[in-house]
Amino acid sequence: MTQPAILVDDISFSYGDNEAVKGISFDVAPGEILGFLGPNGAGKSTTIKILTGQLAPKSGRAQVLGADVTTDDPAMQAQIGVCFEEKNLYESMSATENLRFFASLFGIRDLDTYDLLQRVGLADRAKERVSKFSKGMRQRLMMARTLVNTPKVLFLDEPTDGLDPVSSQAIRKLIQQEADRGAAVLLTTHDMFEADELSDRVAFLNEGKLYALDTPESLKLAHGKRSVKVRVREADGVREQTVSLEDATAGEELKAAVGSAGLMTIHTEEATLENIFIEMTGRGLEG
Amino acid sequence: MTRPVSRSAIVWSIVRKDLAEYGRDKLWAFLTVMVLVVVVVLFWLLPDDVNESISVGVSGLNDPSALATLQAAEEGLLLVPFESAQDLEAVVAGDAAAWHGDGYTIAIANDAADEPPNGAERISTSIGIAFPEDFFATTAAGGSAAVTVYIDAAVPDEVETAMTSLVRELAYAAAGDELPVDTLAADQIFVVLGEDRVGNQASARDGFRPVFVFLILLMEMFVMASLIAKEIHDRTVVAVLVTPATIGDVLAAKGIVGVLSGMAQAVIVLIAIDSLAPQPALILMLMLLGAVMVSGTAMLAGSTGKDFMSTLFTGMLYMIPLMIPAFAALFPGTASAWVQAMPSYPLVQGLVNVSTYGDGWAETLPELGVLLAWCVGLFAIGWLVLKRKVQTL
Repeated sequence: MTQPAILVDDISFSYGDNEAVKGISFDVAPGEILGFLGPNGAGKSTTIKILTGQLAPKSGRAQVLGADVTTDDPAMQAQIGVCFEEKNLYESMSATENLRFFASLFGIRDLDTYDLLQRVGLADRAKERVSKFSKGMRQRLMMARTLVNTPKVLFLDEPTDGLDPVSSQAIRKLIQQEADRGAAVLLTTHDMFEADELSDRVAFLNEGKLYALDTPESLKLAHGKRSVKVRVREADGVREQTVSLEDATAGEELKAAVGSAGLMTIHTEEATLENIFIEMTGRGLEG
Repeated sequence: MTRPVSRSAIVWSIVRKDLAEYGRDKLWAFLTVMVLVVVVVLFWLLPDDVNESISVGVSGLNDPSALATLQAAEEGLLLVPFESAQDLEAVVAGDAAAWHGDGYTIAIANDAADEPPNGAERISTSIGIAFPEDFFATTAAGGSAAVTVYIDAAVPDEVETAMTSLVRELAYAAAGDELPVDTLAADQIFVVLGEDRVGNQASARDGFRPVFVFLILLMEMFVMASLIAKEIHDRTVVAVLVTPATIGDVLAAKGIVGVLSGMAQAVIVLIAIDSLAPQPALILMLMLLGAVMVSGTAMLAGSTGKDFMSTLFTGMLYMIPLMIPAFAALFPGTASAWVQAMPSYPLVQGLVNVSTYGDGWAETLPELGVLLAWCVGLFAIGWLVLKRKVQTL
């Protein structure tokens, strides 16, 4: 059996009296993307801080690449990449200088900054100071910085938050490439579409507790309606029909609809991740 | 490829990054260069000599031997003979300029077109004593003589009183009488508290030397505090700490940058004001300890500052008390016990003693010891406070 890249066993953390993480457990395998879904204050960022050694859990056990996260193991730190929610780049330095500086902390002297910047669409701005970058450009540079050491584990905290669709898509593509390469990815987001598109599994986190952990497909199947909505154009207008997949006649009805010359659309009636989240936690993802 | 990286390599990377950021902060770079230039220019504009005598104009003493006798009796006074009481009054009143030559002094009215004699030197005097022509004859006979004392309005009351007493003393001397007081032996008359600097007084240039050098170090404290505050505010330090770099590496790099830049600037100023030569190794040691001390203070100030203004304000809270010993050094012997207890006192006093009075390692050891203790203490406090701050980000 493959050793999980991230292993979290019943960890808890409190900021004073505020219990931010309440005994959560999960694991992430190499090459897997685990989407951490939850609203602001759900405990997503705190979990990442624990896993990257910024905070020590009050209880429980957490391992990254087999190393206990509380040991501050440089060998483990050398194999992770962290993309923060805040854009903590050195503003007076250029994109290339930022990447080279962080590469030097990993002992990398021959970093191909051009290639890395090209992957995030910033090759033509390599020499420009970060202070002149837009929010989207900074986020893409943050992503490039996360990859300077070709990490085996990626912690991505809201990597597309507030970005335009083009920048978001570019970053999603990069995340998928990294997972395809074999990196384990822990992706926190409150964007259900992003989680749905990228994640092999999603975890629902709310008020520090884990409510669900499964593949998006399984969650949608478990919580959605097994029905199909069919729209057909007829002589007297557009007819909309909902076909329940539970009915014995479903096959015949669908066959008739597909065979119809006026067939316009067929949509499954599965639940969205947001609907499931609301159903399970009683609150939305944007809160 | 990622490979194991040594602690020294990580610290060196952060040092290079900090120095690059330092150089690119236009405001601090400008202020640093400006202070360096201003300090050096001001230093060379200050007078480098000390006039230990008070110039007192006298008239009515026609006998040169009488003037010589009085001059010998009054150490610290330069008696300048004037031909007439009118000339003396005009000079003290500022209506005329006094030109002193070999055995004579003439007064030339300010509105006169007369040229001063060749070789004459202009002197200023704000005190004048006009003796009557028959002063010696009258006082020697036990009679009473009226002596006029001219004193500029700007002369303090204490000096005016001292001049009046001086005239009475002169009258006793002229009459050949002893003063009606018992005096101690000559070597017991003056009891100097502290070190006697008579004949070895520090010029304004010497006095300001430690002030200027310490100002450079404090400027460095502001720059370092600002860089640290920015790193905390922007949370870039958090990004560094999720790499193989540890908090110890970050703090070590900050300390190295602070000490290096503080030392470098202090040495530039010391060379520019020609103050490194007497005891280069000893002065460099003092500067090194001073740079360590301000780096520790910068860590403290940087931990609490959030932006330029708040860092400036916080820095001032540390700077003002640290500057007090430097200004106290301008007035030797005036530093009270609490001033001497300030961390910067041994640094400033050490600098004064070495650069102005030529003290060596042996004489400066007490200052070095106290300064070292302060450095260790302040640097440790700064290190711990900054470490705590970074850990709670």
